Amino acid sequence: MSNLLASLLSSASALQAYAQVLETSQNNVSNASTPGYAKESVNLYALPFDPEAGITGGVAAGKVVSARDEFSEQAVRQQTSGLGYQQQLVDSLTAVQSNFDISGNQGVPLALNNLFKSLSAWGATPGNEAARQTVIQSATDLAQAFQQASGNVTIQASNAEQQIGQTVGQVNQLVTQIQTYNVIAMQGSKNDGGLSANMHAAVEQLSSLVDVTATFQSDGTVNLMMNGETPLLLGDRQYKVSSSLYQPQDPPPTNANGPADVRIQAYNGTDITSETTGAQLGALLHLRNQILPTYIGDASQPGDLNVMAKQLADRVNQLLTSGNISDGPPAVPGVPLFTYDTANATNTAASLSVDPTVTPDQLAAISPGPPEVSNGVPLALSALASPVQDADKVNGVSYSQFYGQLAGRVGSALNDATNSQEVQQSLLSQAKDLRQQYQGVSLDEEATTLMQFQRAYQATSKFLTTLDELTGEAINMMSAT
Amino acid sequence: MGTAALVEQLKSARQQLDFASNLLVKPSPEALDSCSSVLEAAGRQLAEWQPAFSQLAGDAAALEEAWRLRRSFVRTSRLLQGVGDFHRNWLQLRGAITGGYTETGESAPLMHASRISLHG
Repeated sequence: MSNLLASLLSSASALQAYAQVLETSQNNVSNASTPGYAKESVNLYALPFDPEAGITGGVAAGKVVSARDEFSEQAVRQQTSGLGYQQQLVDSLTAVQSNFDISGNQGVPLALNNLFKSLSAWGATPGNEAARQTVIQSATDLAQAFQQASGNVTIQASNAEQQIGQTVGQVNQLVTQIQTYNVIAMQGSKNDGGLSANMHAAVEQLSSLVDVTATFQSDGTVNLMMNGETPLLLGDRQYKVSSSLYQPQDPPPTNANGPADVRIQAYNGTDITSETTGAQLGALLHLRNQILPTYIGDASQPGDLNVMAKQLADRVNQLLTSGNISDGPPAVPGVPLFTYDTANATNTAASLSVDPTVTPDQLAAISPGPPEVSNGVPLALSALASPVQDADKVNGVSYSQFYGQLAGRVGSALNDATNSQEVQQSLLSQAKDLRQQYQGVSLDEEATTLMQFQRAYQATSKFLTTLDELTGEAINMMSAT
Repeated sequence: MGTAALVEQLKSARQQLDFASNLLVKPSPEALDSCSSVLEAAGRQLAEWQPAFSQLAGDAAALEEAWRLRRSFVRTSRLLQGVGDFHRNWLQLRGAITGGYTETGESAPLMHASRISLHG
């Protein structure tokens, strides 16, 4: 009788174990498309068997084990951050590029070309009232083109600033969500596969916004560090980050009234901007604090649009005031045409305008010499189109070339970012494939695979140096004319 | 050898690199082995035709193809580096887990041979 009872108990135990296996399998199937879910399995173990002592053996269910491999999860997060960075850079630079037309059909290049044409026409007929009026109109159009170009870049800087604020908000929001999961885990749900899936999905989402290192703990919680050193979440405690405008003081600013930078601060106020270089937030900071200031300036630089506007306005004014409206006696000197905010080097392009009091007859055409030349000033102004002397150039090149360079810089950066985005997309796919490969693999199998990889990698990588040289040389040979 | 045929050689080498890249997106040890022979073939092909490439100097279409080839190489190279980094880091981590750290603070080398597995 006792043997029969023992057999029944043994069978019941086995049934319970298989029921748990079945339940885990069903859970795997139900969550097959749940973001962040990793397959689980149940370890079965044999029960002692000793008939004489009435121990009938059988099978029992052990721990539910997740197939998740945290190392490969972190590798996926790292590539997700990389893709977040490149995607953001492509989006932002595409918007910036639309401001810099290099076809010459609109904006600054068109207005500059029209001004040079009008100066040339004035040189041919220095006393012609209509030609002088056209010069004033062309100068006004050019000033407006500078204002618009500068205004557009300023709007983009403002948009980037707003996006940085929103991204920081999203980061804090996601961390709050993960904090809630931590609290649930701490209350005893550490082995809940669904909870773990939610946590991993949220952390992966977070990694597209910032560089985040996630350390999963044995109690089922996760600790999050931003840039590898700034805590975002430790157990049930969240550390919020913030963004704000600030004017760097070290080194002392040369343009105290220039556009401020955006900085990111840790929970304790520490400035972590320079460490925040990855993911979407890193790209936005790079755009806002590095790329856009090269056009509109910041505390330490005037920005190329301002450099160009100032140089052009100063040179035109200098030539006009060096000439005479009439040779008298007494000779009447010319007046400056352009005005701009001289108190703020980062505001030149935005404030550039034609003095509204200047009338066509105040444009000086006579170069006093000796010898006096009746159209000397318009001729000197026309020479700005194809400059020979340094005073007619900006940073050693013509105005058109200078503008072409600054516009080309955006195009080149966008091109690089687009190529890098494609590569990054492949790297993310690769990391996800590796994660798939390593899920549920035992340490023994893993060691064997690692050895195979090591050997195959060494065999493959030796061709890279040769291919690097050959593809580089092909470009050099074809670039030569 | 005509210009068009030389450009075809560049294109063919690029297609081989693209094929290698696609293998590296799903990097099993077998895929890496296949990749190795594809890269070797691409390198041999480029080296063979390289002296003739000087004929293409100043040819805009050829230069464009050369840049495409270069971009494909960069992608392949980054993907190979990606899989290399992944396994190198994993080896270091496993070395640290199983053997701790060396006197200089690096992960202990991972010993593959004569392993003893304890289960419990």
